[in-house]
Amino acid sequence: MSRVACVRVEAFAAAALERCEPALREQPLAVVVGAPPVTRVVEANARARAEGVGPGLSEAEALVRCPALVRRPASPEAEAAARHALLDACLAVSPRLEDAAPGIVHVDLGGLRRLFGDDAEIGRHLGRQARTVGLEARVGIASSRAAASVAARVGPVVHALPPAGEQAALAAVPLSTLAWPVELATAFTRWGLVTLGDLAALPRHGVGARLGRAGLAAHDLVTGIDRTPFRPWTPPPFWEEAQGLDWDIATLPALVPVLARVLERLCARLVAAHLVVDVIEVRLALASGGHHTRSVALAAPLAEPTPIVALLGLEIEAHPPPAAVTAVALSARVVPRRVAPSGLWHPPAPAPRDLATVLTRLTLLVGGANVGTPVVTDSHRPDAYTLVPFDSAAGTDDDDVGRDTAGSDVHATHPAVAKSEPLPVAGPLALRRLRPPRRVEVDTADGRPTRVRDAGGLDAAVLTSAGPWRLSGHWWDTDAWARDEWDVALSDGTLWRLSHDRLTHTWLLDALYD
Amino acid sequence: MLVDRLLRQGAMTELVGALSSGRTSVLTLCLRAATRRGGLVALVDVDHAFDPVSAAAAGVDLRRVLWVRGEGRRRDALKAVDLLARCPGFALVALDVGESPPRLSLSSAFRLRLAARRSGVAVLLVGARRVVGGAASLSVQTRRDRLAWVGPSLMPRRLAGMCTGLQVVRKQGAPGPTEIERFWWTA
Repeated sequence: MSRVACVRVEAFAAAALERCEPALREQPLAVVVGAPPVTRVVEANARARAEGVGPGLSEAEALVRCPALVRRPASPEAEAAARHALLDACLAVSPRLEDAAPGIVHVDLGGLRRLFGDDAEIGRHLGRQARTVGLEARVGIASSRAAASVAARVGPVVHALPPAGEQAALAAVPLSTLAWPVELATAFTRWGLVTLGDLAALPRHGVGARLGRAGLAAHDLVTGIDRTPFRPWTPPPFWEEAQGLDWDIATLPALVPVLARVLERLCARLVAAHLVVDVIEVRLALASGGHHTRSVALAAPLAEPTPIVALLGLEIEAHPPPAAVTAVALSARVVPRRVAPSGLWHPPAPAPRDLATVLTRLTLLVGGANVGTPVVTDSHRPDAYTLVPFDSAAGTDDDDVGRDTAGSDVHATHPAVAKSEPLPVAGPLALRRLRPPRRVEVDTADGRPTRVRDAGGLDAAVLTSAGPWRLSGHWWDTDAWARDEWDVALSDGTLWRLSHDRLTHTWLLDALYD
Repeated sequence: MLVDRLLRQGAMTELVGALSSGRTSVLTLCLRAATRRGGLVALVDVDHAFDPVSAAAAGVDLRRVLWVRGEGRRRDALKAVDLLARCPGFALVALDVGESPPRLSLSSAFRLRLAARRSGVAVLLVGARRVVGGAASLSVQTRRDRLAWVGPSLMPRRLAGMCTGLQVVRKQGAPGPTEIERFWWTA
């Protein structure tokens, strides 16, 4: 039998604001909409409700009932972020979720018993996950989503209904416990219905004939029957977190703590979902009405807020917003967290937060196009390579690591040089590239270079030359190339790779043997 | 091993020599040894002269190489080395300053040495002349000894190799220059 959990956050709009300002949890809070003098309360936290403040009151009425009431305007950004955060928290427990409504998530518990234990233990785990992202949730567990959602509203914080007799367990719950539309509540009272069991005992078609679609939905809810299919939620590629500001911020030192707070919430969500940030974008709403957006690609993916805040601070310092900031939104592109960053036999690699900071500073220093890992391109064209972003974990799964630890870097004598001198061979001769290649004038005799000179003062005789080595490629395309390469020892003591471009008939110093 | 004698964790080594003396080959040898042991290496290349193709052919695991191209900006290259030397976890941080090494004050050189010592990173400076002076725990000079060609001496068919002499010109705790040690590099 399938089991479903309903994770529910009471007074979600207020909870979303408390998540942004944790100090509000200790005070009576009301979420209000509208401009004075017609400002009305739309939601209140538990402390405010205990003082008699509830939805529908005007702000003045609410203040009369609770003089210490804190009012905050509804924040769609905070609610969207909190809704996403609750989904992220549940995603760490089960991959199959349904985003039922703001602050309500249905979790398919199939196959989780082996991981977490019985239903109550799974429910407690869901509650802990919600707490890690700053939300206090109630959890109801039953065999259907409807029964689970009722269980989440009544009884203990984690309310697991027994698989058999769920309807009986909820039959005694008063109807007034659930929030019904006014028409339904009036009809139930007129009919003399007191408990959920009373409503469930009525014939469904009769309720539908008298109360319409809303009545059918109410009957399905109390009988615990799901009429709609489970709609799985898929995490978006970007994870977002935002916060509106009650005042404008015009300086970076004042903006950084706000960024840090928003980022802490985002990172808590990512940690719960075992993800790390790869690219982060900050979007600042400006008092002038526009937006200022900056993006930072982290050199090493991480989910620690401190280094990311430092990098965002550097980026905003380099590209400051043109006006004061009124709201902050962060959007992160995420990648799965690596469980094992390196192999057992590998030497320790730099800590991801250190590496990310260093690479970003290097990027600011020399430019992003000049920092990376070279990759040799599959081509016969000389000096064919590309530069890709540096990955400290690349190649850590190789088995050949440590091959040189016990060996020697001086190998057996090369046959070609053994004749001239029986000395050990240290390795291949390396090249130093000239980018771009230096154009030179070359005197030739019998097709072989005899003297090299250029405008920069080079004027040397060729003592020895070997070649030509004929190379060509891409002859079928517009970027065809063809060249003859020579190894030349010059009279100034240098040893060059000289090439003759057969398409443009120019001589170029490509590289230096060093 | 030659590399173990050249590099030491938390210490700076200078490798100086003229063009075509084999100093880049020694640098490549160090990169090869460090990456083959699974370490991460950083190469700050002032003149954009590093050749990935010949390095890969020499056995350097390029996936473990962080290449920072200075595009001729020597002061920025020194700052980059300073940043990298303060990041623990790199097996080797190399700076190739090319033919025009920047001037580095003695205090800056000793600060760099202190950073390398604290992070445990081996720092290798390669150039035409010495940059950090007394802050380096080892200074080695490369000299080209001879070339070997295959084929007739007047019209050889190909370059076979180059012989390089390595001489320790300064070593902390050692009295003076050591004898020249010779190696072949194959082309």
